[in-house]
Amino acid sequence: MMINPVIENIRRSLGRTAQISSPQGTLLSLHPAICEPRLPKSVDSEIEYFLSEIKKLSGIGQRLSADKIADAVKILVSEHNIQKATIWDTPYLKQLGIADSLRSLGVELISPNANKHDMALCDLGITEADYLLPETGTLVLRSSVEKPRGVSLLPRIHLAVIRPEMLRADMHQVFAEAKDSRYLVFITGPSRTADIELTVTLGVHGPKNLYVWMIDG
Amino acid sequence: MNRATQPYIGFEEYSEHVPQSIPLAVQQATSRFVSGRAARVAELPQWEELRQIGSDIRQHTMENMDVYLTRLEAALQSAGGHVHWAEKAEDARRIVLQIAKEHNVKTAVKSKSMATEEIELNHALEAAGIQAIETDLGEYIIQLAGTGPSHIIVPAVHLKKEEIAALFSEKLDIHAPADPIELARIAREVLREKFLHAEMGISGGNFLIAETGTLVMVTNEGNGRMCTTMPDLHVAVVGIDKVVPDWESLTVFLKLLARSATGQKLSTYTQFITGPRRAEGEFGPEEFHLVLLDNGRSKILKDPVGRDVLKCIRCGACANVCPVYKNVGGFAYGSFISGPIGAILSPQMLGTQTARELPYASTLCGACADVCPVKIPIPTILRHLRRRVAQGDEFSALTVPVPIRVAAMFASIALAWNWIYRLGARLLPVINPFFRRNGWLSGMPYPLSRWTKVRPLPPFTARFRRWWNVRSAKWKDST
Repeated sequence: MMINPVIENIRRSLGRTAQISSPQGTLLSLHPAICEPRLPKSVDSEIEYFLSEIKKLSGIGQRLSADKIADAVKILVSEHNIQKATIWDTPYLKQLGIADSLRSLGVELISPNANKHDMALCDLGITEADYLLPETGTLVLRSSVEKPRGVSLLPRIHLAVIRPEMLRADMHQVFAEAKDSRYLVFITGPSRTADIELTVTLGVHGPKNLYVWMIDG
Repeated sequence: MNRATQPYIGFEEYSEHVPQSIPLAVQQATSRFVSGRAARVAELPQWEELRQIGSDIRQHTMENMDVYLTRLEAALQSAGGHVHWAEKAEDARRIVLQIAKEHNVKTAVKSKSMATEEIELNHALEAAGIQAIETDLGEYIIQLAGTGPSHIIVPAVHLKKEEIAALFSEKLDIHAPADPIELARIAREVLREKFLHAEMGISGGNFLIAETGTLVMVTNEGNGRMCTTMPDLHVAVVGIDKVVPDWESLTVFLKLLARSATGQKLSTYTQFITGPRRAEGEFGPEEFHLVLLDNGRSKILKDPVGRDVLKCIRCGACANVCPVYKNVGGFAYGSFISGPIGAILSPQMLGTQTARELPYASTLCGACADVCPVKIPIPTILRHLRRRVAQGDEFSALTVPVPIRVAAMFASIALAWNWIYRLGARLLPVINPFFRRNGWLSGMPYPLSRWTKVRPLPPFTARFRRWWNVRSAKWKDST
C-alpha cells in the first residue's frame, strides 16, 4: 500500500506509536444531549409551525385539499405567466393530476430528465419533498432519476407539493432515515443574497419564488 | 501558500492606510450579523451546551484525525468518488490542474471556497489557460474588481452600488444601473450561461462526514448547487480539519454555523453529496474528486495550544465582534482569512516571521472567544503566538528587536522581586520633569515613544499602594 504523507504527518503530530483503526476516547457518550429528540406536537400545529417558518423566509405556503389543486395551478400559472414547466416523475404527483392541469392551461411540459439547457428555460419546477423540518421551514429532497436535482434549482419558480406524512421532528430523524442517500439537499426558503450593500435580494442563482402546498384532506 | 514566496504581512502599515469607507461599510455588515446572531441564539435555550458539545466533538476529531480521514477515504471510494491527498498547496494545485487537463476543461465555475483561496488556485488555473469564474455574487464582484475580500460572509461589502454598477458596465460592456436588485439580476443572467457551459465545477466544503464519505456544503444563493450539479465534473478542495465523525455530530455544527454566521436558523441550501451521480437524468457530475488539503494543518496539530484553531467552522462571528477588525476590515490581515481567526491561523500556517504582526492585531478583549461557536480560546492562542514570535519557533528564530528584549529582561527582573519593583516605582517620578508638558508626559524616547506619539502618559507618581490602602480602609468601614 502506498504511504500517505498527510496521514503520516498527522500520526507524527499526534505522537502515535502504532497505527490505530478505531478512535480513541468516546464520542457520543460525551454528549447525550445531541441525541435527545425534539418532541413534535400535534400534526396540525406542526403544519402551522412549518408554514409560519416558510412565510418568515419569504416563501409562500398554503394548505390545500386535493380537489382544490387544479384551481391553485390556474392561479399560479396566470399570476406568473408560466409558459413552460417541468415536474418530478413520481406516483403521487401523477395521482394529483398536476401535469394534466398545466397542459389544459396551455403550459408546455418538459421531461424532468431533459438536458440542462432546456430546463433552464422553464418558468416552473414542481417537486415533492421527502421530509419536512418544521423548526426551520426546511424541505428535504433526495435525488434519483425520477426526482432529478435540476427541477428544484433551474426554473425561476419552485413549487413543492407536500403531505403531513413528510413531517419529521428534527434533523436527527431525517439523518437517521436518509444518510444512505447519494445526494440530499435541504432547501430553506428561496435563493437569497445580501452581497450588494446588504440589500436582501431573492433569486440570485436559484429560484426567486418558493411555493409550498401542503395537501391535507 | 508557498512559504518562500508569501510576502511579509505588514498589518501595522496596511492598517494605517485603510480608506475611511471600509470601516464604515464593514461595521454596517458586522452590526447586522451581530444582532441577527443574538436573536437566533436567544431562541435556543441549549445554546451554551451546544457550543461545548461542538468544541468536544472537534477535540475528539482532532485527536483521531488519522482514523476519521482514513474512514472518509474508504467510504467515499466505495461510493465511486476519487480521493486525492495534497500535502502542500502546490500539490493541491497540481492535482486540480491534472484533473482539468485530463478532461480538456476550458472554463471552471467556482463556488466560494476558502481552501482554494488559500492555495491560490485561480492564478494557477489562469496560468494554464483555464478560465476560473467565481459565482458567489460577492466573490464575482471582487473578482471583476481584482481585489480581496473585506468580510468573510459579504466579501464585496466595501463597494457601493454605484461602484459595482460602473464595474459591471465596464467589464460586461452593458449599461448597469446602480440598483442592487438589478445588479443581482444581471449577475444571474451572466453566470447562468457560465454554469450551463462550464466543463468543471470547483467547490470547497463546510464539512466532510467520515461515516459515509459525504461532502457537506452550506450556501444561500444557489451557486454552490449550480457548481456541483451542472458540470459533468466536480472537484472539491477541502482542508483536512473539516472532517466530522458522523451525521449525528454534524447536527451540532449545522445548528451552530448559520446562526453564528448570518443569524439564520439554516442557510438556504445545505447539500450532502456522496460521490458522483448514479444515472444521467438525475443531474449532478459524472465524476467526483475530493482533494484533501493539509498545507501545514498536520503541523499545527502538534502544538497543543495553537491547534484549537483547527476547530474553526468559518462562521466569521469572531470578526463581527472584534474592535480591531471593525476598524481595519479584512484587507489588513494580508491573507485569505481575516479577523481574530486569521490572526491565529496565518502565523501558524505561514510562519511567525511572515505573519508576526498578526498576534498583536488584537486588544485581547475576549469578545471573539465569547461568541465562538466551538469555543476556540482565541485570546489564549494570541498570547501563545506572541510568545512564539518573541522567543522563536520552528519557523523562525527570535524576532524581537534588542531594545525591547533588554526592556523585557529588566521588566521580568523587576516583576520577580517585589523590592526592586517598589524601588523602581519610587525612582520613576524622577524623569517626570524632563517630559512634562501641560501636566502630561509626552515626546519620550524609543521604545516609550511608541506610546507617546499616539497619546500622552500621566506622570509617574508611585502613589498606587497608598491610594489603595486608604481606599480599602474606607471600603471596610462602610460595610
